[in-house]
Amino acid sequence: MKERSILLVIFAALILTAGGYLAATQLHLMPFQASTRAVEVDRLFQLLLGITAVIFLLVEGALVYAALRFRRKPGDDTDAVPVHGNNALEILWTLIPAAIVVFVGIYSVQVLQDIERPQENTLVVEVIGRQFTWEFHYPEDNVTTSELHLPVGRPVLFQITAEDVIHSFWVPEFRAKRDATPGQMAELRITPSQPGRFPIRCAELCGPGHAGMISEVVVEDQAAYDAWLAAAKTGPSDPVEIFTQFGCAACHTLAAAGSNGQVGPPLDGLAATAANRVPGLSAEEYVRQSILEPGAHVVQPFANGLMPADFGQRLTDEQLDALIEFLLAN
Amino acid sequence: MKSLVSRLRQPAPAWLRYFGWNTDHKVIGVQYLVTTFFFFLVGGALAMVVRTELLQPGVDVVNGTQYNRVMTNHGSLMIFLWVIPVLAGFGNYFVPLMIGARDMAFPRMNALSFWLIPPGGLLMIASFFAGAAEAGWTAYVPLSIRTPDGQTLWALGVIVLGTSSILGAVNFLTTIVTMRAPGMTLWRLPLFVWGIIATSLLVLSATPVLTAGLIMVALDRLVGTQFFAVAGGGDPVLWQNLFWFYSHPAVYIMILPGMGIISEVFPVFSRKPIFGYRMIALSSLAIAVLGLTVWAHHMFTSGMDPRLRIPYMVSSMVIAVPTGVKIFSWLATIWNGKLRFTTPMLFAMGFISQFLIGGLTGIFLAAIPVDLHVHDTYFVVAHLHFVLFGGSVSAIYAGLYYWYPKITGRMYDERLGQAHFWMNFIGMSLTYLPMFLAGLQGMPRRVADYDPNFLVPNQLASFGGFLLGISVLPFLYNAFVSLRSGKEAGGNPWRALTLEWQTSSPPPQHNFEQEPVITHGPYDYGEGHLAPHPAGAPAAGE
Amino acid sequence: MEYTKPMHEDAFRAGRALGLDHLKLGVWLFIGSEVMFFGGLIAAFLFYKVNNPTPESALLDVGLVGINTFVLLASSLTVVSALAAVGRGDVASMNLYLIATIVLGVAFLSGQAYEFVSLFRHGLTLSSSVFGSSFFTLTGFHGLHVLVGVAWALSTFFRGMRGNYTRDEHIGVEVFGLYWHFVDIVWIVLFTVIYLI
Ligand code: HEA
Ligand code: HEA
Ligand code: HEC
Ligand code: CUA
Ligand SMILES: [Cu+2]
Repeated sequence: MKERSILLVIFAALILTAGGYLAATQLHLMPFQASTRAVEVDRLFQLLLGITAVIFLLVEGALVYAALRFRRKPGDDTDAVPVHGNNALEILWTLIPAAIVVFVGIYSVQVLQDIERPQENTLVVEVIGRQFTWEFHYPEDNVTTSELHLPVGRPVLFQITAEDVIHSFWVPEFRAKRDATPGQMAELRITPSQPGRFPIRCAELCGPGHAGMISEVVVEDQAAYDAWLAAAKTGPSDPVEIFTQFGCAACHTLAAAGSNGQVGPPLDGLAATAANRVPGLSAEEYVRQSILEPGAHVVQPFANGLMPADFGQRLTDEQLDALIEFLLAN
Repeated sequence: MKSLVSRLRQPAPAWLRYFGWNTDHKVIGVQYLVTTFFFFLVGGALAMVVRTELLQPGVDVVNGTQYNRVMTNHGSLMIFLWVIPVLAGFGNYFVPLMIGARDMAFPRMNALSFWLIPPGGLLMIASFFAGAAEAGWTAYVPLSIRTPDGQTLWALGVIVLGTSSILGAVNFLTTIVTMRAPGMTLWRLPLFVWGIIATSLLVLSATPVLTAGLIMVALDRLVGTQFFAVAGGGDPVLWQNLFWFYSHPAVYIMILPGMGIISEVFPVFSRKPIFGYRMIALSSLAIAVLGLTVWAHHMFTSGMDPRLRIPYMVSSMVIAVPTGVKIFSWLATIWNGKLRFTTPMLFAMGFISQFLIGGLTGIFLAAIPVDLHVHDTYFVVAHLHFVLFGGSVSAIYAGLYYWYPKITGRMYDERLGQAHFWMNFIGMSLTYLPMFLAGLQGMPRRVADYDPNFLVPNQLASFGGFLLGISVLPFLYNAFVSLRSGKEAGGNPWRALTLEWQTSSPPPQHNFEQEPVITHGPYDYGEGHLAPHPAGAPAAGE
Repeated sequence: MEYTKPMHEDAFRAGRALGLDHLKLGVWLFIGSEVMFFGGLIAAFLFYKVNNPTPESALLDVGLVGINTFVLLASSLTVVSALAAVGRGDVASMNLYLIATIVLGVAFLSGQAYEFVSLFRHGLTLSSSVFGSSFFTLTGFHGLHVLVGVAWALSTFFRGMRGNYTRDEHIGVEVFGLYWHFVDIVWIVLFTVIYLI
């Protein structure tokens, strides 16, 4: 190649590189930043995006350039000038990626240590995953709920486990995820920095209801949090809340509760069906039995054993009565 | 009676040998290619179900259980019955030809390796009738202990298929070490053969560990052992370690021979020697060795000891270095070449541009803080299809077109081939690019239903997916019709230097009329080893 | 470029220049994969042994198994002797040594069966605990390999009787020997891991 065209290629490469880096670092691909952790993770992400955009553009640029520039002339059956290698070049393109990788590695470790560093005054929340709901326990205040509330600005340590199969606790807006593994306790630290309501999603395949294993975290100021905590000590009393919080909604469709789970039978118009399910049982008795001992009468074609059998222990008597009344009324 | 015997004595029609036990490596190679392509179609049909379900939010076509079955078997078929064995199929057909051997070292064991594949595939597909596997291709315990009986058939199927690849790997390595023609030194081996060497070493070291793990799962399910029963002290993370100890190396098992194919295609259609032959060969070995040390990067969010994560992150990122060496060497190979854009060449260039996206996003995944956000999201799904579809499958298509004349003796139709490439390339980008965004924004993988916020990327992906589905039609049509109506290819239509082209197409039973003697490297274009206008001069791609 | 120079041709009939028979190499490679298979099972066993030590390992009878180990070690010796014999062309002694190997192999398997039954009596079974599961799976698969070895020894013996092996052509015996020693070495590792530490 002539000297001038070498210079041209280098010039084009520089423009591509700088432009690509600048463009990539301006892209907003991540969701809302609701924790201090999100800010740090996004900074790393943005850096990676910049670096990889440069590599991407250089390689694709070279590919396209070669495709346009080095086409065979029609009728030319001869071979090209043979070049078998070039030690300097080969060393260069081994060392530069190695240096980039070392840099990225070190930076990632720093971010990792930052986001996982223990903090003063940490709120501990125990998280339990089960098919297909989340349960939260606040040991400090001895409250158990299925709705996660956090005060804004206070560091949180989640201690995460599961009862049946592996689930994964994930709040995209926090950029934080950790598997809930039965028999193990995993830790996850974040500090919520913005008030709001954010979805909690189960990220690990955990069975037919995996897609519906969604809950919500409410980040609010200290006063609202305290008020919620006081109310939560008694547990939910509104039947719709019970229905969603105890996970019925994940498996059952019920218009009155706005749910469309597909794992179990739909519960719309239950009063009519329930009366005729088992001879000798009234609708009310049948529904009570269905909740307390799901295996006693299994609705076809659904499998036995899917519906958890421990609602008897988890629901208070008042909650159970309210739930049954609600189900029969809709 | 006598007439029956004499009828049986008559030589069977030639095509019949493809349907029975045959020990010719070329017949076995074709058996592999055709059988695995069939499984690709089945796995692809399942992907069509997935994309139809995800066309819009809500559970409409299949329910949660059915979705999980479809998704699980899509992944399993694509990996265990398509990419891994189809590459072994190429190896079967071409390794002996490329090293100047008459056959593989153990022809009967070779036939056995192939004949384990249909039963393995049937076990997996039969599982649909016993409540198919539904725990993902990763089959995480304890979920995979609780699912219906199909899961057991699935596990047995994977064990059978694993055995097939182990026997294949023994055969490849023995063949390559002991059966090379005179003059075929290590540094004259074609790079595809180097890819097979690295892959076979990985198969031998990793596949048996998966077998051990699957045996534990099967025993837990069948006889009540307690390996993964949490109540009895079993540990679900042990399975993850055993699974990924195999399945991470498996991703390199799925890419290294593909990279070998790419290294065959570039020099031929650039009329230039491959750039940095030794570095490319050695980088395959480096990737194989490093590949054995990174498995826990799939488990950053799981219950492993947090301190252990960092070494896995570092080793994962380091793989970018040998992979980069290959990519840069390929670019240097086409630089200043005399490029001919035949279909295999297009697929090879497509390979670089799409594998690159997959590889670079691998670096995001290896960076632990980012992975703790994107693990188990569509970001991972996009990464894996860019490396597996954009990478491995592009390379497979490149190989199918490149060697079609050798295998069949006929040229394929170049225009249909190019149409196939462009449909594939566009469909691929349309399907998988939007998935990166969906994943970053918060869409988990393996869901039959999703938040309406993700509607747009999912619709794009579905339309792209359907385009990919349609894109196999020109390929199939081309492959069938050209068998009869393609132009005669002659021995060496591409004027290539590697040994498989120095014999007739298709090659005779013992591959070469005389034992070849090798006096130069496989890619010494421009060094006067080829007469400029051989018989059967280039036909396609003008 | 170096690799374009013509080379001395016959030296590169590769394996043949290395003095490797392809059958032998194949078996070596296969053994390599077997090592990884046992590696997986041993890793599982050790993992559980370290993470939840149970009193059940006290049920193991190291004395009995020690004798059994000795039996298996002795069988490796007889295999070495069989190979040495056929190397001298003494096929008759080779057959005798093979018989001895088979007897020792069967003795080992009987010892293992006895051990298993007495453990069952003490309530240690495949499904009683992770220790039971990993113990029986690991030793069971080793036992299976011994069984295959015994069958292989039998077939080698019959071939020997038919006169298939001579002083210069006895690759079949060598390959069988490789496998047998491998199974033996695996046992040494298992004995150490399970019974000694
Ligand atoms: C062909 C198959 C293939 C290949 C080659 C790769 C290659 C890589 N993969 Fe990928 N991966 C998969 C198939 C593959 N992967 C699959 C199937 C899964 C999902 C499994 C599942 O859960 O179902 C997965 C998942 C996966 C994860 C887990 C994600 C998660 O679940 O959270 C991670 C994490 O580290 C990862 C990393 C990498 C890396 C670092 C590479 C590297 O090897 C990439 C190296 C290449 C490049 C980087 C590009 C070229 C290099 C240059 C141009 C040089 C310059 C570059 C730099 C300096 C950066 N992959
Ligand atoms: C090489 C491997 C490979 C290949 C080629 C593909 C190809 C495709 N994949 Fe797949 N995929 C995986 C490997 C692969 N995949 C893996 C490992 C997973 C993870 C599974 C898991 O999570 O456990 C996955 C998961 C996966 C998902 C995520 C599922 C989820 O997480 O819920 C999606 C979603 O869109 C998807 C889509 C597609 C599409 C549209 C194609 C298209 O490219 C397919 C194109 C289709 C064809 C080429 C065939 C069309 C043929 C016909 C229509 C005719 C039918 C004929 C007969 C029946 C004979 N794949
Ligand atoms: C993991 C999924 C799951 C969860 C969670 C779940 N169910 Fe069910 N439910 C099922 C399945 C499956 C059936 C049908 C099989 C059976 O009868 O056991 C069922 C059956 C029922 C029935 C009988 C319906 C009929 O038509 O006869 C009632 C009533 C019911 N569930 C109420 C509830 C309530 C109330 C809750 C929450 C407190 C709940 N379920 C939680 C899966 C679930
Ligand atoms: Cu719980 Cu997915
Ligand atoms: Cu990996």
